Order: sequence, then structure tokens, then C-alpha cells
Amino acid sequence: MLQFLIRRSATVLLVLFGVSVITFGLMFVTPGDPAETIMRQQMGGRAPSEEAIDQFREEHGLDKPIPVQYVDWAADVVQGDFRQSYFQETKVSKMILNRVVPTTELALAAIAIAVAIAIPAGIISAIHQGQPPDYLSQFGALLGISMPNFWLGYLLIIVFSVQLDIFPIAGVGGLDHLVLPAITLGTGMAAIITRLVRSSMLEVLDEGYIQTAHSKGLKEKIVVYKHALRNALIPVVTIIGLQFGYVLNGAVVVEIVFQRPGLGNLLIQSIFSRDYPVVQGLVLVIGAIFVLTNFAVDIAYRLIDPRISFQGGDQ
Amino acid sequence: MKEKLSRRQLLSGVAAGTTVTLAGCTGGDSDDDTTSADGTSTDGETTTKTYDENQLEDQLTVALPTDPTAGVWSVYGGVMPYYTNTLEPLIWVTDDMELQPWLASDWESTGEKSWEFTIRDGVKFHNGETLTAEHVVWSFETVLNEWSYAPGWLHIKPENVTALDDRTVEFVTTDVFPTFPGTIAHNMVAIQHPDRSRENKDVIGTGPYQVANRKKGQRVETEAFDDYWNGDVQMQNLDFRVITDPTTRSLALENNEVDVAYAPPSSKIDSLSQNSNTQVTKQTSPGAMYVGLHNYKEPTNDVKLRKALNLATSQKTLVDTILNNVGLPARGPVAKSIYWSGHEKLPEYKRDVEKATSLVEESAYDGQTLQFLVSTETPSGRTIASALQEWYSEIGVDVAINQVEESAFEDTVRNGEGHLVLEGSGSNSGAADYLIYETFHSEGDVNERLYGENGTGVYNPGEEVDTLIEEGFQTGDKELKEEKYEEALRIIMEDEASVVPLTYQQYVVGSYKDVENLDLRPINEMVRWPGAKHLK
Repeated sequence: MLQFLIRRSATVLLVLFGVSVITFGLMFVTPGDPAETIMRQQMGGRAPSEEAIDQFREEHGLDKPIPVQYVDWAADVVQGDFRQSYFQETKVSKMILNRVVPTTELALAAIAIAVAIAIPAGIISAIHQGQPPDYLSQFGALLGISMPNFWLGYLLIIVFSVQLDIFPIAGVGGLDHLVLPAITLGTGMAAIITRLVRSSMLEVLDEGYIQTAHSKGLKEKIVVYKHALRNALIPVVTIIGLQFGYVLNGAVVVEIVFQRPGLGNLLIQSIFSRDYPVVQGLVLVIGAIFVLTNFAVDIAYRLIDPRISFQGGDQ
Repeated sequence: MKEKLSRRQLLSGVAAGTTVTLAGCTGGDSDDDTTSADGTSTDGETTTKTYDENQLEDQLTVALPTDPTAGVWSVYGGVMPYYTNTLEPLIWVTDDMELQPWLASDWESTGEKSWEFTIRDGVKFHNGETLTAEHVVWSFETVLNEWSYAPGWLHIKPENVTALDDRTVEFVTTDVFPTFPGTIAHNMVAIQHPDRSRENKDVIGTGPYQVANRKKGQRVETEAFDDYWNGDVQMQNLDFRVITDPTTRSLALENNEVDVAYAPPSSKIDSLSQNSNTQVTKQTSPGAMYVGLHNYKEPTNDVKLRKALNLATSQKTLVDTILNNVGLPARGPVAKSIYWSGHEKLPEYKRDVEKATSLVEESAYDGQTLQFLVSTETPSGRTIASALQEWYSEIGVDVAINQVEESAFEDTVRNGEGHLVLEGSGSNSGAADYLIYETFHSEGDVNERLYGENGTGVYNPGEEVDTLIEEGFQTGDKELKEEKYEEALRIIMEDEASVVPLTYQQYVVGSYKDVENLDLRPINEMVRWPGAKHLK
């Protein structure tokens, strides 16, 4: 176990190093000068003078060679300093912390909705393969995958906010603010997970030990929920884990439609305004979330199926 | 805001009980145009109503597309000095883009580079202190020291702002800069009290409202300032909510979660006008949209091709259809609300497909695909470009649309990478001279890179126009400025056809039916809220 943790921690650091180098490099080859972009925004579209641009670059170390800038930045990050935003006059770490909570709330709520829909739907679909409940479930999954998030978001707003006046349209606050964005985001995920649960269940239900369980005269419910489901869930947990990482940074559209101040929204704004410190800090944090989620998934495997050993690592 | 049902009931009662008195046409040249459900329009007319105070709400919720807490604004306590009416500049701008005394009651040029401003008597800050010349000096020094671009923009250095006495401030510009008063007619150079604390994020201004509460990225709440110097403040509380997505903003208005929503998407304008609970107001801004044609890159370096593209374009159709009647058909690249735009004197390229086609045949164009650059941030940019692409294909010109992300867009244009560029320009202060300089002077923002590198540029037509722009820029004489700029624009449009004008811009504000007296201004950030009425 300890060896596994050490090995995986080393991988995490290596991946994050790679992510930081690539992000840093990509930001610098992207056209659009941060000094000019930020000053132009501040001046309402007017062009800043060359002297002002040079001064900005000097103040923020942008006049140094890119490798030097990277080393300087990495040295700060290692000491826990993600620097200050060019555009917001706030520490990047503070900006990220402020945004983590609404995004995590949204991600957890969306996953809860997705799992609540997908697991029963997938099981019913598998048990009734080729029958109306299966077709219904597959149709629902197809619909869920096909609906773009922004479209579903607007649709839910029109029905539940404008017409029925049940939920607020935009912003953050109580649970009522979370319902529509979570449904919007959770539906697409539910569709993916439903299909996965179905196919995984079908595969498991064909296994010899399930037939053995049946021949032993065990009740259908026990066979399905105790013997089959547990094994069928292994690939599902992987996908849920990956989806969690995806939701944390991929909820951009939902965050924009429902005006939620989250990580995805911040990342997009920062990329457009060439706010390098925020982009670099955020990508690193999002990268870390992805890697750590995978880490957690690996541990979850072990808990679901004790046959999977930490020694194997890659299983 | 109240619940929808009770609002409707009350609204009908209020409508029946409100006495409406027509005060006549007091603002005949205003570009405000309010359209309501029954199709009536108050275009150009101002009506005065009397209200029963008991039937008025004291709060207005406004949805903004811009986050007032975003940006480098710690100099102003972290809230941008736009929209909220908490801070004020020395000079304001009227609906006709004329300079209007505000915190300065008067100003005059006292030398080639020096100006004296008289500070208005009896203006109180939110902390109760009276505004003096020293406060003005401190405010300017703070801004000039804080923002590296401010001295170059305002043409003054911190040490060149001096209080001559308690009520007089002298500014000495770094060079001859006749547009100095117009340039500072801008909320970015607002006057504030030195006691404001950056750490505590105080905002101590002279405006009709003071910041009461804020949540970064989400909202700014303000409350009326009782000792405001310039008349009564009717509306007691303003709640500015940030909703960046235009469709969500519009839906929030329809749902009455907000009372006012800036810039609804053009596809929603009709439905907001037809909805019995909402209305839209259009306001002409000092902005224009046009297609910049690369004057130095083959084949758009051929003036015959540039004229053909002008003749293939129908500004009126564009406004009527794609833009949902938002905007006015343009004849030049500078909004006609700016007095020296030369609108009446510029050629009108009426759409003439036959003539355009024969000009294309006479030109050096040999069938290659022209690159049309469009910023991803330009509203309806892709749709507008597609309409033009269709018109240009009718005259045998092949155009490919290339959408470029906004930050990269400016860079791409300055590198001269497109043949056609969908450009928008506008003044955000009382001085609009920079519009013509930055776009058409060889050393202006758009052209200077290529002009410096190889003596060309992008839209600059040459020395004669450069000289006219310089002469116009350097004069404080209104008539002479008009003469010089008009001649420059005539050459740009008639002789050189350097650009294809599209529209003079308007912006749209949607509001709930129970909101009245919205005082929108040409520069949308300079809206005035104190007189707004919110019926119960």
C-alpha cells in the first residue's frame, strides 16, 4: 500500500510538471499580448502606448526569456505562491479558492443526479434486454447525450423559471439555485453512465458465477444486486471518477448559462483576457484534481473488488 | 422586486391611477427610442409624468453584462466607475456628445498646453466633506501614478496637476492637446476622496449613490446619497447583478428577477417588445461598424475592387434584417452623432450589383479567396460576415470567413493578415478624435506596425489624409476640426474607398414595464439612475 502511494505520488508530481510546462509554453505561443489585451480592456478599447506596454511587461517579468519566466514562476508555486492576477488585483490562490466551492457543489450535485438516474436505468435496461423498458432507457440515454448543455439549460430556465416560476434563473445561493444547473449537467452524464451500467451488467450477467448463483436457487434480487452489480460497477466507477474531473472544469457552459462563478467560467475569462497567472494556476489545480481523482478511483477499485491488488498498480 | 402576480395586479391599478401629463417635445434630437407592446414609440419625445410616491418602489435591479468588480480598479476601491453612479468626473457628455460641466463648473485654455478648471461649489463627498481643488489634484495624481497607460492617454504627468487656489486646478499637458477636456470627460478619471482606503475597499465619491454591499463577480448593491449636489435621487437602492450570458439576462428580465437588462441578444428584442410586461429602449452610441479593407495587400489594394465591395453592400438591408433594426445605416466609419463625421457629405454607395460586377472585372482581382477576419466577440459578427459573403459572391468575389478569438484578433489585424476585417469602433469619452487617428493615420494604432516595418499600413490612405488628421487633431477650433476631418473622411470614402461602412451603432436596454424615466446616455457606461421611477 505504502509503495503504491509513493509510486502514485511521484506520478502525480511528474504529470503536474508536464502540465505546467505545456501550459506555460502554449500560453506564450498564443497570439495576443497580455499587456495590450488587459490595458485595452481597462481603457474601453483604446490602444495603450508602447511605453505603457513595455512598463507592464517589465513589472510582470514578461520581458525575460520564457524559460527564465517559467523557473521564476515554478519557484513561487513550489512555495505555495500562485502570484497575482494581472486583471483582478487578487491573489490567484484566493480566486481559485473562491471558485472551488460553487463548482464542487455543482459537480457533486450533478453526479448525484446522474448516478441516481443511471444506475437503476442501466440495471432495468440490462435485466429487460430487448424489451420495452430497455428501449425506453436507451432512448432516454440517447436523448441525454444528444442534448447540448446550453440548450437544455435554456429549456429548463424557460419551463421551470419563466413559466412555472419555481427556481431562480441565475446566480448562487441556496439549494434552489443548484437544481437546474445540476440537472443540466447531470443529464448528459446520466446518459453516458446508463449505457455503461447496461453493457457492464449484461456482460456480468453472462458470467458463469451468476449462472451458478441462479442454479443455487438464489433470489433474482440477490443475484442482480449483490453478485452482479458489485462487479458491474468497476468500469462505472472509473467513468464516474473521470466525469467528476471533467465536470469540475468542463461545466463552463452551465456556469455561463446559470451565471455561476465557478472554475470553468474563470478559466475561460482568464484565457480570453490573457491573464497568464490565473490560467497557469487554474490548469495546475485542475490537472491535480484529475490526477487525484484517478488516484481515488484506483483505491475505490480495491474496495469494490478485493481481487485487485495494490501491487499490480495498473490493473 | 415583488412577486409576479402581485406586481401585475398592482401595475394595472397604478396604470389606471397615474396622471400623465405631456410636457411637449423637450428632447427632439434625442436618439432614445422606446418600443412597447402596442407598438407605440416615444422616439425623440420626452414625456413627463407625475407619480404618487406611495406607488413607487425604491429598488431597481439591473443586470449588467460586465462585472463591475472585475478589472484593475483597486484605485477606486475595487468597483469600476461605470454604471453605478458612485463616482463622477469633472466633465460629462450630453446626448449630442457635447461637453457638459459636471464637477467642474467651467474650464478654459490658458495657454498652448495649459488649462484651468473651476471646481463646482457645494459638492459633497459621501463622507460629508466638501469637494476642493486639492481633492481633484489628488485624484488625478493617484490615477496617473497607478496606471502606466494613463499619462500617455491623458497627455499629462502627475506633477503637472496643480491647485491654484481652493477652487481652481491647473493642468499642463505634455504636448499641445486640444482634446484634453473631452478626453477627461470619462468616468475612468473620476474624483474621489483621499480618505478612501484601498485595504477596506472603500469608495468615497460624489455620486448620487454609494456602495453598500458587493459580492465579487456577482453583484454590487448601492444606496442613495442624501447630500447629492445635483438634484433629488428618486431611486433609493440599485442592485447591479452580473449576468454575462445575454440569453440568461433576457430570461431573467422576462421572469422579473431583474428590472433592467442591458444588451439582450438581438434575437430576443422582438419578443421583449411584444411581451406585455417588458419594453426595450434603443440608444444611439458614438460607435460605428464597418469592414476594413486592407489597402496594401493584393487584391484589395486595388481601389476598383474596394469600390465594388462598397457597391455590393446594402446597409439598410443589413440593419432591417440581420440586426433587427438595431443601428442606423452608415455612410462613413465614424458615427454621425459625432459632429465632424461628415455623414451628409460622404458618398452614398447605393447597392448596384451590375456596376459592382463590372468594377470587379476591371480590377486586378483574379478569383482568389479573400480572407474576412471576424472577432469572436463581435455580436452577430459571423451572421453579418455571412450576409456580406453572399453579396460579394454575387459580384464574383470569393470570401472566406475566419473567426479569430478577440485577444488574438487585434494582433492579427495589425499584422495585416486579412483582406477584410469586421471592425467596430466607438468613443467612450467626450473626445472622439482618436477614432480617426487610430484607424486612418499611418502612425495610428491599426497601421503603425506595418507602416513602421515596410512603409505601408492597413487602412491609412496616405500622406494627404495624415496631414488632414494631424491638423484636425491639433486644433481646438471646432469649425476647422470639422473641415479637416470631413475632408479626410471624404478622401477615405470617395477617392480611396478604404472601408465599407455598415452601421452607426445603437445599444439596447430591456426593462420591465413598470420601470420609467431611464436616462440612458450615448456612452452606455454613463447611464444616470437618480431619476428612474419604479412603479409598484
